[in-house]
Amino acid sequence: MSGDGVGASARRVGGYGRVTGHQEYLADITLTDMLHVKLVTLDCARARIISIDKTAAEQVSGVRLIMTAEDLPHPMPRFGPQFQDRPVLATGETKYHGEPIAAVAAETKDAAEAAAKLVRVDHEVLVDGVFSVSRALDPTAPLVQDPDLRPDDPLANTNILREHHFGWGDVDSQEADLVVENTYEFPMVTHFAIEPHGFMAAPDGDGIAIWSTIQHPYLLQKTIAKLLDLPLAKVRVFAPDPGGAFGGKQNPKLEPLVAYMSLRTGRPVRLILTLDETFQAVRRASTEIRVRTGLNSDGTLVFEDFESNFLIGAYVDIADRVVTKGNYLAAGPYRVPAVRIIARGILSHTTPSTAFRGFGIPQVTWARESNLDEGARALGIDRLEIRLRNLAEQGEEFVPGDTPADGDWQQAVRRAAELLGWDEPLPAGRGRGIALGLKSGPTTGLSYSTVRLLGDGSVLIYSGTSDMGQGARTVFAQIASQELGVPLDRISVIMGDSTVVPYDQQTSASRSSVLMGTAVLRACQDIQAKVRTMAARLDGVDESEVSVEKGMVYLPGREATVTETLVTGLGPLGGELVGNGEMRKDKDLEHPLGGSALFFEFNATAVELEVDPGTGEITITKHMTVSDVGLAMNPLQVTGQDEGAAIMGLGHTLMEHYIFDEEGRIRNLGAIDYRIPTSLDLPLELRSDSIENADGPGPYGVKGISEGALLAVSPAVGSAVTEATGLIIRDLPLTPQRVWEAMMERV
Amino acid sequence: MKTFEYTRPRTVAEAVRLLNEHGPDAQLLAGGTDLVIELRNGWKEPEVVIDLKRIDELRPSITEDGGFIKISASTVMTDIAEDQRIQKYFPALVESAVVVGSVQIRARATLAGNICNGSPAADTAPPMLVYDAVVAIAGPNGMRRMQVDDFIVGPGKVALERGELVTAIELPIPQRPMGAAYTRLTRRRGTDLASITLCCGVDADGITRLAYGSVGPRAVLLVEMSGVLADPNASHETKADILNEMFLGASPSLRSMRASPDYRRAMLRVLGARALQTAIERLPRETAA
Ligand SMILES: Cc1cc2nc3c(=O)[nH]c(=O)nc-3n(C[C@H](O)[C@H](O)[C@H](O)COP(=O)(O)OP(=O)(O)OC[C@H]3O[C@@H](n4cnc5c(N)ncnc54)[C@H](O)[C@@H]3O)c2cc1C
Repeated sequence: MSGDGVGASARRVGGYGRVTGHQEYLADITLTDMLHVKLVTLDCARARIISIDKTAAEQVSGVRLIMTAEDLPHPMPRFGPQFQDRPVLATGETKYHGEPIAAVAAETKDAAEAAAKLVRVDHEVLVDGVFSVSRALDPTAPLVQDPDLRPDDPLANTNILREHHFGWGDVDSQEADLVVENTYEFPMVTHFAIEPHGFMAAPDGDGIAIWSTIQHPYLLQKTIAKLLDLPLAKVRVFAPDPGGAFGGKQNPKLEPLVAYMSLRTGRPVRLILTLDETFQAVRRASTEIRVRTGLNSDGTLVFEDFESNFLIGAYVDIADRVVTKGNYLAAGPYRVPAVRIIARGILSHTTPSTAFRGFGIPQVTWARESNLDEGARALGIDRLEIRLRNLAEQGEEFVPGDTPADGDWQQAVRRAAELLGWDEPLPAGRGRGIALGLKSGPTTGLSYSTVRLLGDGSVLIYSGTSDMGQGARTVFAQIASQELGVPLDRISVIMGDSTVVPYDQQTSASRSSVLMGTAVLRACQDIQAKVRTMAARLDGVDESEVSVEKGMVYLPGREATVTETLVTGLGPLGGELVGNGEMRKDKDLEHPLGGSALFFEFNATAVELEVDPGTGEITITKHMTVSDVGLAMNPLQVTGQDEGAAIMGLGHTLMEHYIFDEEGRIRNLGAIDYRIPTSLDLPLELRSDSIENADGPGPYGVKGISEGALLAVSPAVGSAVTEATGLIIRDLPLTPQRVWEAMMERV
Repeated sequence: MKTFEYTRPRTVAEAVRLLNEHGPDAQLLAGGTDLVIELRNGWKEPEVVIDLKRIDELRPSITEDGGFIKISASTVMTDIAEDQRIQKYFPALVESAVVVGSVQIRARATLAGNICNGSPAADTAPPMLVYDAVVAIAGPNGMRRMQVDDFIVGPGKVALERGELVTAIELPIPQRPMGAAYTRLTRRRGTDLASITLCCGVDADGITRLAYGSVGPRAVLLVEMSGVLADPNASHETKADILNEMFLGASPSLRSMRASPDYRRAMLRVLGARALQTAIERLPRETAA
């Protein structure tokens, strides 16, 4: 469908600027009198800081401030979205490779870099770091977190942050014909947004202004207000559209540091991370997940039993939420009579893990789906068949007490299988795999939007969503275009300034089309109601005789556009109509996650591939990904998100992982030795398709998308490798060397 | 990045004078795809950077002269890959040029720079060894020529003396029909540094030239004269034995993140056998017997 309204593959709002380099990213913004900041770090993971000598660094011309823990308030201010455990700068001990110990602000970047190298940190390397699940759980291991940070917590003297128990039914009393038990590992991977994280701060009257590449500007505003004891109104947050984020830019990281530095110097300061530094700032939790799957001989699931260990890193960030939300749905989209899930967030001397596209689900999906395939093989049941047999029907309450299955998931699975040619004879040397992923959307939400219909019929939309490349601006504009009958080129979407744009809880969990989309829709409806009043007044008819729909005003005996009505109705003084919209999903304190799923992201991924018997290299010949999207407001953007997610999934499946040395240093910092897929690494054929039954909770029946196509990539590929080679590999990524080693072991 | 003086000489003589004057404090700049990264990362901190791109004598050109194809020092990978004479006589060099970096890198990266940079993983090194390339060098004492095998020394090191620069790479047009193939091992298909680079050439007299890199301090060349490797009818096992022998000199890094030593050794055998097979298949038919 062409055009500007909902359902059209409308041109990306802001897309031209993005591809031509005109978009202003944070690093493109310069402030008068700005100082440049460079972090001081140690080339080790864990160390005791004995003293810091600034003398040599202070001699570098242009240096204005060298900030250390000593220069910050005592006790060290700490923050975090779940636990207030992250210090502004390391104090006493560094807990991961790259943790900032000090920061230099200087007149030029070069001076800051030169001085940062000269800050002498007298330290003792503590070689006994915690870098693995097994070490973390060893009672002789050092504690990553100071127990004083969680005084009343019985786990405070362990490296377990939290242990969560979910499930239903009684696993132990179930009788299964077959029980399959295995452990699956998932590596540490990083977001690798093309735009590295950037932060700026400047004194702003009696308050402060912060610029950040953040996904959650309003959370940042709260964080800074709390740390600096300022009212929200005195903390102005600018959040320019990020250049990719993938969850890695959700939560505040170094904004408090630049805020303190700018207050201390009285000048604007800015810190732009290098790619290497972003690796040390954000990653996905690595996991070891043991699954026991009970099956009847006909392939019916009897129970699922998970013990799930997430290695979350040195500070919690949002990782505990990743653990709970990821594991709560560990049993996936299936009807399982009994489920037991024990999920632990485990602290370690590694980069703090955070939200990352899929939010814990890719790890559990790798384990669950792979184990299901092992069961299917043992029972001699087709891997597609076993999934269809156990898959929840639309409306079925497959997780007791939670949102029932909100889509025709069978349809998506069949479509993926059909696109791949699951029933066709398998070409020699090839293998196929199919896997299903399920993620719950937001469990709470709060979005406000203001829409202004200006005097000439053009439109301003105010939305606190961050458009980091997912195309939020475009779909919001499409909603307004549809409702108010205004072409896209007469609509502007205003984001990223907390003093101008009303509150939005966050941009995460594929929520914005549904939550902010509804707020925008309601703001447009608010305007429609005002237009209706206006039209009734103009024609001297009763409001009940007037209706406004899709940009048109229907009156007794005539119709007019919204714009015509507006222009006449506003009269000679002009003016505008302002509409407000709100969408909320409140907390449900009874629910283990604090709320049921607003919607589910469901995806079926099917692949066909070849494995080079000499080198172990995998060539994916076909990759089909089908998501249940409710309705594609912009089909081209849906395709872009699904393909992007699929390719990102291929990254951790085939090549991405942090490589550590014995002392916990990340050896492959930066692009050269941390490989992500390029265009030449794509499947020979990659296709996405959408199931659209308009059965979502958002405007026009949309559901959130953009994470789904990543969830099930690994198990689909792993299963296909098994079919092609007979090898079962339970650790990612499936690098050529790893596949070759498995081939050698078999010989 | 440390500041430096940037110069842009017009003649080779002037460049040589500057180089000689500043010695180790000077760095030559061709495409900059190696140098600029080293500057940015502070691995090299020259006082003077001498840009070669405005030197008339070094302008991009590929010419045929006296039984040689001469590739000037400013000629980039894209030009090499597109040149019909190179495609005809040196197809394995084309195969190596087209995998260097990405489209953007290949439009900047010079062949001379690839060799002068001295990386053990340089993609064009094995084919240049197999094709017996000659490096033309200008210096304070005039011109001299050297086999590429003598020119490559070790990691980051080539046989250039103070004041010397490379003006061209000269490839002798094979006198006998030849089949050759280039292959490499990488962790992914797009833009990657190779864990193994390998080129194999067989000629109508049954001589096999095999060069491989990235498994030791420099790319090495081995020549097999018995005719067994080039023999399409010799058994795979016999060939494998000879190849294994040729790979004994490989000393893959023990600490490399790119591939384990065992994997690299095994892949040398796999890639070696494959490149040999392709080279044999490419040897023009009428003379292959
Ligand atoms: C993203 C990326 C990907 C890459 N991928 C590959 C790859 O796949 N395979 C590969 O082999 N390489 C790769 N490289 C490395 C690089 O592109 C090549 O080595 C390239 O051929 C270097 O040529 P240049 O003209 O850019 O050299 P420059 O960077 O200009 O110079 C390289 C070195 O050679 C010296 N030098 C240059 N010209 C001369 C001369 N005429 N005489 C004497 N000394 C000279 C310079 O002083 C410098 O030390 C990659 C680089 C990047 C940035």
